[in-house]
Amino acid sequence: MLKEMRFMNTVSVLFCVALLSLVCAVAWWGSARADSASGKKDVASRQWAIVRVELPANDEPFPPGIGADIASSQCLICHSAGMVLTQPPLKKNEWRAEILKMRTAYGAPIPDDQVDGLSEYLKNINGRE
Amino acid sequence: MQRSLLVPPKSRRQFLAGVGGLGLTGLLGARAWSGTEESVVFPFVNGGRNLVNTLPQKGAMVLQRARPPLLETPFEVFDQGIFTPNDRFYVRWHLANIPTVVDPATFRLKVHGHVKQSISFTLDDLVRKFKPVEIAAVNQCSGNSRGFFTPRVAGGQWANGAMGNALWRGVSLKAVLDRAGVKAGALQVRFNGLDTGILPQTPDFMKSLDVDHSLDGEVMIAYAMNGKPLPLLNGYPLRLVVPGWYATYWVKMLDDIEVLDKPDDNFWMTRAYLIPDTPLADMVPGQQGVKLIPINRMVPRSFFTNVQDQAKFKVGETTTVRGIAFGGDAGLAKVLFSADAGSHWQEARLGSDHGKYSFRRWTVELRHSSAGPQTLMVKALNTAGASQPDGANWNSSGFMRNAVESVSVQSL
Repeated sequence: MLKEMRFMNTVSVLFCVALLSLVCAVAWWGSARADSASGKKDVASRQWAIVRVELPANDEPFPPGIGADIASSQCLICHSAGMVLTQPPLKKNEWRAEILKMRTAYGAPIPDDQVDGLSEYLKNINGRE
Repeated sequence: MQRSLLVPPKSRRQFLAGVGGLGLTGLLGARAWSGTEESVVFPFVNGGRNLVNTLPQKGAMVLQRARPPLLETPFEVFDQGIFTPNDRFYVRWHLANIPTVVDPATFRLKVHGHVKQSISFTLDDLVRKFKPVEIAAVNQCSGNSRGFFTPRVAGGQWANGAMGNALWRGVSLKAVLDRAGVKAGALQVRFNGLDTGILPQTPDFMKSLDVDHSLDGEVMIAYAMNGKPLPLLNGYPLRLVVPGWYATYWVKMLDDIEVLDKPDDNFWMTRAYLIPDTPLADMVPGQQGVKLIPINRMVPRSFFTNVQDQAKFKVGETTTVRGIAFGGDAGLAKVLFSADAGSHWQEARLGSDHGKYSFRRWTVELRHSSAGPQTLMVKALNTAGASQPDGANWNSSGFMRNAVESVSVQSL
């Protein structure tokens, strides 16, 4: 009985020692890896991670007015209304030039018969005579 | 849950930004940003802007445009230190298809074209297989300060905060190109990032540098900014760093480098970002037949950061006036300060030097000896002999503004 208990004690002590060694080994391995990374000062390599962001919804509408539907269906394809609303007030022909630039340079699909209406609308919401 | 970026400015408390875009010095300074909706009014027509803190990895920023994002650094940030924190660094995108997920496990930087062997690198390759290089450098939008152009010109209506200074860490572009082996006859190197246009016909955003410039050992591919990975909106995981050159060349989310044996004729090199081929890109409004060239090297600039227009001082007291300055494409030689609208100039004391492409702090002690109004001015000179012009340079694209900055103050 006594002998058996002593045997069990020995087993548990050995088991504990083995477990402790394993924990130490794992800890050492982990710290060694961390050291090698920080030793090289690889700021980025320790921080490479999948980066996932969410860009806030952009729901700023164009102000109401005749032609707002053209602005909403055309301008908003590529950029928010803020791009238009933060411009200095432009003359109708200056707005027209911007519209034509959007068409020829960036491929905006604005039909010919909407250019005048859109120029007029943009002058009305942010323009000068 | 997505939040609306915009609330009509009228519903918000308005702060005056001050002439010269001096921003919010002392008003918002140390206050923690808690999602309070605020706005600024830049001192030009239609200058009202919202301040937002709803953009990922970003603190409070001036919203210039929600999509694709144009975010300006509130000017008070420049008074807090010469390195611009990543979460306050300005943001400028051309095209609205910006990846919102970047997976380093699958990301590759490809080098191809007029090279001995096409090659691609993982991010770990760049970190482990190359000697890291570091440089402090100002990144400034070509159109920084466009809102101050008179007459006004269309484009992003920035005040002075479309710029920032960071310590960039990465690999030299030369080292990367050397692995691929640039072949004889190569003329330019073209850089492309992961962003694309919404419409297939919108020209993809690509920029090129001459091959000699690309191999100068100074142009680099950055994987860290101020000791941390770049915020996604500043180009995570890789961004080209072109010290001394305008930010249009600092391609974000860089994943493709193509060596060309002929000049790059893509839209963004031949039809956009062009300047008059004149000193300081200066021209007269309406001037015809001006020869245009791609924008390139930066010019010197200096700013007040702790004194705003209309500031009031007490007679008999002394103020330490301070600001930041940079030399552009050369080191900062000196900063001159005038307390009498430019009649007399004195040399400002310069703070620590982080290299020729970095912001540098300047300070002067200004004693308010007598009552009355005063115009304070600041002017930077670089080691190549360039200095800021007294009158503003002008061109129809709103590029390269670098006039002497001034503030009107009063001693009572």
